[in-house]
Amino acid sequence: MPSQAPTQPIGDSVPKVDNTIAVGENLEFQRKWWKFERVIWSIFLLILIADVLGLFGRGWLSKDTLSDSAQTLTLNYERIERASTPSIMTLHFGPKAIQNGRVRLYVSDSVVKPLGAQRISPQPAVSTIGNDGITYTFDATQIPASIQIALEPSFPGRHSFRIQVIGGAPIESAIFVVP
Amino acid sequence: MAIFVILRAAFGYLFLVLMVRVVGRRPGKQLTPFEFVLVFYLGGLTLTGMVGNEASLTNAVTQILTVATCHYGLAALRFRFDNFAQVLDGTPLIVLEKDCWRSETMSRMRIQDDDVMDMARAQGLPSLDRIDMAVLEAFGELTVIPKKHKEEDNHA
Repeated sequence: MPSQAPTQPIGDSVPKVDNTIAVGENLEFQRKWWKFERVIWSIFLLILIADVLGLFGRGWLSKDTLSDSAQTLTLNYERIERASTPSIMTLHFGPKAIQNGRVRLYVSDSVVKPLGAQRISPQPAVSTIGNDGITYTFDATQIPASIQIALEPSFPGRHSFRIQVIGGAPIESAIFVVP
Repeated sequence: MAIFVILRAAFGYLFLVLMVRVVGRRPGKQLTPFEFVLVFYLGGLTLTGMVGNEASLTNAVTQILTVATCHYGLAALRFRFDNFAQVLDGTPLIVLEKDCWRSETMSRMRIQDDDVMDMARAQGLPSLDRIDMAVLEAFGELTVIPKKHKEEDNHA
């Protein structure tokens, strides 16, 4: 024989209005919630403004330019990037960078792995691995000369990198990747 | 990394719960076309960030399990703690009582007298003075309690 389902008498758990209609209104909580809503809408607005300005990448605040002291290499890049979103790092070479019709550029491994270098334009004549990075050799005539590295970071976080024209001073910096 | 797949799914679900809660409830029994756009568009945009370029079946299953676990967790917390249920669902709000509008509630919840009258007409009430009480329920529907019900109860 099946056992009986457990039961419980109906209680007066929902507060009533005028002792007749059970509504269960909590106006005190609701007033707190309205205050919270005002704060959260302000935060939403601030997030949108920060986004337009580039605080989360792809905007004015995220762009940066770095050079070594001898102006051998000038780097235009985005110091804040978004994960799985393409961006371009442009490298402008100074006159001292071109030696014997060639530019030799060292790029640390972090540019290839966490920062997700997809391609280099133009293609280097020679790529040599070693010293925790890759050394690219480009044929070059005279300035202005520049190359572009297409990046697409995979992982959020802060990723340090080092770029150097062989014979010049290294440029060291970091890119912060937001999710 | 697998953990990011789970974190993205959990964040997407909890963020959508917050957004839908904050965007607010509108009176009515069914979604209006305006709200359809909101629901589908928010869902679609969240999906882009959750899935990314990882479209494997394993990812899909993991993310569905994550969302299901989050949903179960919220439902369990909601059942266990009344305060949490209020945060998640809100509280019923009286908008009309004793022949007076609750003006603060009406303006903050963006409800007009027309909305109440719509529901009153649906119950066969010809005018607002036949309403004893109107309540905006936590799930968004407006409940109209006619005066005659109260009188009948008193007679009984």
